[in-house]
Amino acid sequence: MWKYLIPLTFAAAPLTAQDAGPFSEGSEARSWNLGWEQPARFEAEVVDLLCEVAGDCANACAEGRQLGLIRAADGVLTYPNKNNQGIFTGAAVDLHPFCGLQVEVDGLMIEDDYVGATNIYQVQRIREVGVEDWTSADGWTDAWAEANPEAAAMEGRWYRNDPRVLAEIEDGGYLGTGETWQEAWDAVQ
Amino acid sequence: MRYLWAAALACAAAPALADGEEVQIRGEVIDTWCYFSGVMGGPDAVRGTAHHTCAIWCSAGGIPVGLLGEDGTVYMILAIGGDDQSAGGQTQLELASHDITVSGRHFARDGLNYLVVDEVVEDHGITNINHVDYGAVPGFAIPNPEG
Repeated sequence: MWKYLIPLTFAAAPLTAQDAGPFSEGSEARSWNLGWEQPARFEAEVVDLLCEVAGDCANACAEGRQLGLIRAADGVLTYPNKNNQGIFTGAAVDLHPFCGLQVEVDGLMIEDDYVGATNIYQVQRIREVGVEDWTSADGWTDAWAEANPEAAAMEGRWYRNDPRVLAEIEDGGYLGTGETWQEAWDAVQ
Repeated sequence: MRYLWAAALACAAAPALADGEEVQIRGEVIDTWCYFSGVMGGPDAVRGTAHHTCAIWCSAGGIPVGLLGEDGTVYMILAIGGDDQSAGGQTQLELASHDITVSGRHFARDGLNYLVVDEVVEDHGITNINHVDYGAVPGFAIPNPEG
């Protein structure tokens, strides 16, 4: 059932998100129908989070490190958790080419006190300040396919074929507690 | 070249070294997007065995990993034991859903908590056996073995 519901949720989403927030003006972000989303478009500096937060800057902006956005209007550090692709892909790959640069981003901000979410961001598109064209933040799967050509050639979505994911499931099972595939399946029916 | 220059600028503009607060915390390694966004249900459903496969997917996919402390605080993990690959790295991938005790440094910035883990003091394994309550989250996480 979920297999069909999640893509349908995204496909059926309206063009504008649910509630306006302080940075919603001018946003063209697509709603993901999340309970606490706010459209948010703002200018920011892309920063290496380990450098910015903890002062560990020797390897700043290297691939594989999480990146943040320091909002130009108020200096607040926001955390891009998600890119613009359907599911299970973060934003660091899409932000990496812009590390150290001033950019404009458009997407959804998540603010939910109940779970401690504040300044959590989903990037849908990005452009360097002064550049006209936007880049959609959907580069993760292309980067994955380039790094995993054999897996990418297989049928199915990336997360069904990724060798590291498969190794983890082989090692601990789908539930992580050492059960067989059949045992895991039976346990959740 | 443009990126190297940008990286050089980032280093040049680096903030003053912050020490952080030395802490020892026990908690569960979670995928923060599912936890924060509610995209797959409430916070108790996107943890533990119910969400283990999705936690692996998200970790491998570069979604930030967090440590959900026993008091409910989420700490965004920036490094583990010197491994700075916080966007899809292998160290964090192998700890998905695990209940761990860590020592490290805590930082707070603009409402979020960050953690640089110096050492995983103890790995208690996966202790949140919640698939009996929630099934698999999302429901398609475990494919039918019969096809």
